[in-house]
Amino acid sequence: MSLCQTRLQEERKQWRRDHPFGFVAKPQRTPQGAMDMKRWECAIPGKAKTLWEGGLFKLDVTFPDEYPTKPPKCKFTPPLFHPNVYPSGTVCLSILNEEEAWKPAITIKQILLGIQDLLNDPNPESPAQADAYNLFKKDRKAYEARVRQVVKENQP
Amino acid sequence: MDSDGEMMSDVSSPDDFLDTQASDDDSLGDGGFGDLDTGFDDDNDLFRQQRNPHEVEYKVLNPAEVERERQDQIAEVSAVVGLSPELAAVLLRFGQWNKEKIIEMYIDYPERTLDRAGVGPVTEGRATTEMIPGFLCGICFDEGDDVESYAMRCDHRFCVDCYRHYLEQKIKEEGESARIRCPGNNCQHIVDSQSVELLLSGEIRDRYHMLLTRTYVDDKENLRWCPAPNCEHVVDCSVKKRDLRRIVPTVQCACSHEFCHGCSLPDHQPAPCTLVKMWIKKCEDDSETSNWISANTKECPRCQSTIEKNGGCNHMTCRKCKHEFCWMCMGLWAEHGTSWYNCNRFEEKSGSDARSAQAKSRASLDRYLHYYNRYSNHEQSAKLDKDLYLKTEKKMTSLQSQSGLSWIEVQFLDTASHALQQCRQTLKWTYAFAFYLARNNLTEIFEDNQKDLEMAVENLSQMFEKPIPELAQLKVDILDKTAYCKKRRVILLNDTAENLKNGEWSFNVEW
Repeated sequence: MSLCQTRLQEERKQWRRDHPFGFVAKPQRTPQGAMDMKRWECAIPGKAKTLWEGGLFKLDVTFPDEYPTKPPKCKFTPPLFHPNVYPSGTVCLSILNEEEAWKPAITIKQILLGIQDLLNDPNPESPAQADAYNLFKKDRKAYEARVRQVVKENQP
Repeated sequence: MDSDGEMMSDVSSPDDFLDTQASDDDSLGDGGFGDLDTGFDDDNDLFRQQRNPHEVEYKVLNPAEVERERQDQIAEVSAVVGLSPELAAVLLRFGQWNKEKIIEMYIDYPERTLDRAGVGPVTEGRATTEMIPGFLCGICFDEGDDVESYAMRCDHRFCVDCYRHYLEQKIKEEGESARIRCPGNNCQHIVDSQSVELLLSGEIRDRYHMLLTRTYVDDKENLRWCPAPNCEHVVDCSVKKRDLRRIVPTVQCACSHEFCHGCSLPDHQPAPCTLVKMWIKKCEDDSETSNWISANTKECPRCQSTIEKNGGCNHMTCRKCKHEFCWMCMGLWAEHGTSWYNCNRFEEKSGSDARSAQAKSRASLDRYLHYYNRYSNHEQSAKLDKDLYLKTEKKMTSLQSQSGLSWIEVQFLDTASHALQQCRQTLKWTYAFAFYLARNNLTEIFEDNQKDLEMAVENLSQMFEKPIPELAQLKVDILDKTAYCKKRRVILLNDTAENLKNGEWSFNVEW
């Protein structure tokens, strides 16, 4: 079996044994009912005691054949209102960038926790959508109101 | 230091090294007129004593010399700070090869420096792979007592296969060498050459070393690869980036290619790098388009939109601002009354105002086209002269057989054609340079110099095209003209370089 497949199966095993509270991560099923190890359905809860608390945000994670040499692609479905999320829903985060901080030793658990941190701690250095970025920079009150709205729309 | 011996093994023989040195000297000598046998010996002496203002000091290095220079610096730092050569190399790369700064930093704050450079705490012992009971690889999750694994001093241990795969990916796919970090999450530790030596072999290891040398040249501001295809030489010139406003550092590689050490473009004296970039961009953007616009359009007198009249009467209505005007006199249509559809009116003020505004924008276009046409003409002529040059060789052989001249006696054609190329290159850039100059007394002198050089070049170029039997008779003439061209070029370049250095030029743009 390829490195990608073994590694993903092992990650699946480890996740089932133990994973952070409130998170979801499981391989998708194809229409035929088989398990597709290269596409995972995940969900990230907003951190307690932050604006994002109470929300649960769905995320599609797609692993390339070269995984773990290359990082997976993480995409919020539907796209999320957040300065570092592209209009397509793709997350812009240094550990998910091959040229930046991606390392083969990073696991799905670390990725999901990293994205959870990003929610309440956006990186204004690499804006990915104009909407959220402009509000975040210019009108923090309106930004926070929008986030509360988003949390309401994304209940578990 | 055993890796040292290995790296030096592919160094070329000492003779090669001497060869390059010799040709290097030749190329420097070229700046004077030493290669001409026509009584310019005095000038030769003059130039040898004092460098021309448009010339800079530089040295051409071959790959072996670069590698040796690199090894010397590593050895020196390694000896001073008492670290292994591999770690000293990582430190040097971190500090952009600024030896003094690195040594000082290390002596003042050894731990912090090592940490920031990605070396981490130094421990004794050589790097080896190990089998550790109960080991689990964090990448492939392979586990077992017999799994061979490796970790650097940061102690992030992975199985040898995964480590190797990771390094291969970084080197092969991403072309990285000096900045590969440990595969562990969040670890900033740099993979040193010792670890690479241990884990990789053959082609990929050679590639790693090649990339390392390359980053050495890329990191050092005073070193630059010769941009000529297949040339492996490096030119060492100490002109700093901030000096590029005042100096145009033109160098000639051992392969005879002349280029600018500041930006790697082919010789662009007398224009400074920034202006050259602005000019190239401008030409790419608009040369052909503006030609057409100038010939076929007028601007709306109110909003300056460019309008092409593609038929119909003279009553124009601007699509954009709805301004109504007459195509002939550019005046307000309202002043024409309603029934006249051709313009035979006497001049009204609105018409002449509109035309003068338009004339202004035309004038700036015309000015640009003036310089651009001359610039591109010299470029074109240089290409044609080059074709001639390729035929020169044939000419030279046939000249030998037809007129009974010896090989050495027909070399003048080669010299002449080289001079022609060089002068046209310079002339071309004088036009780009002049485009950005604000008029004053200095530009008068500049234009005189330009005119003199241009005339000399055209004369020589004309002679060059004569049929072969006539060439032998023209030898003395061609030699004279060649020397004259070269001299005019040096005069022009010295004048511009001197003024540039002293900040005497005034420009019509900010740069």
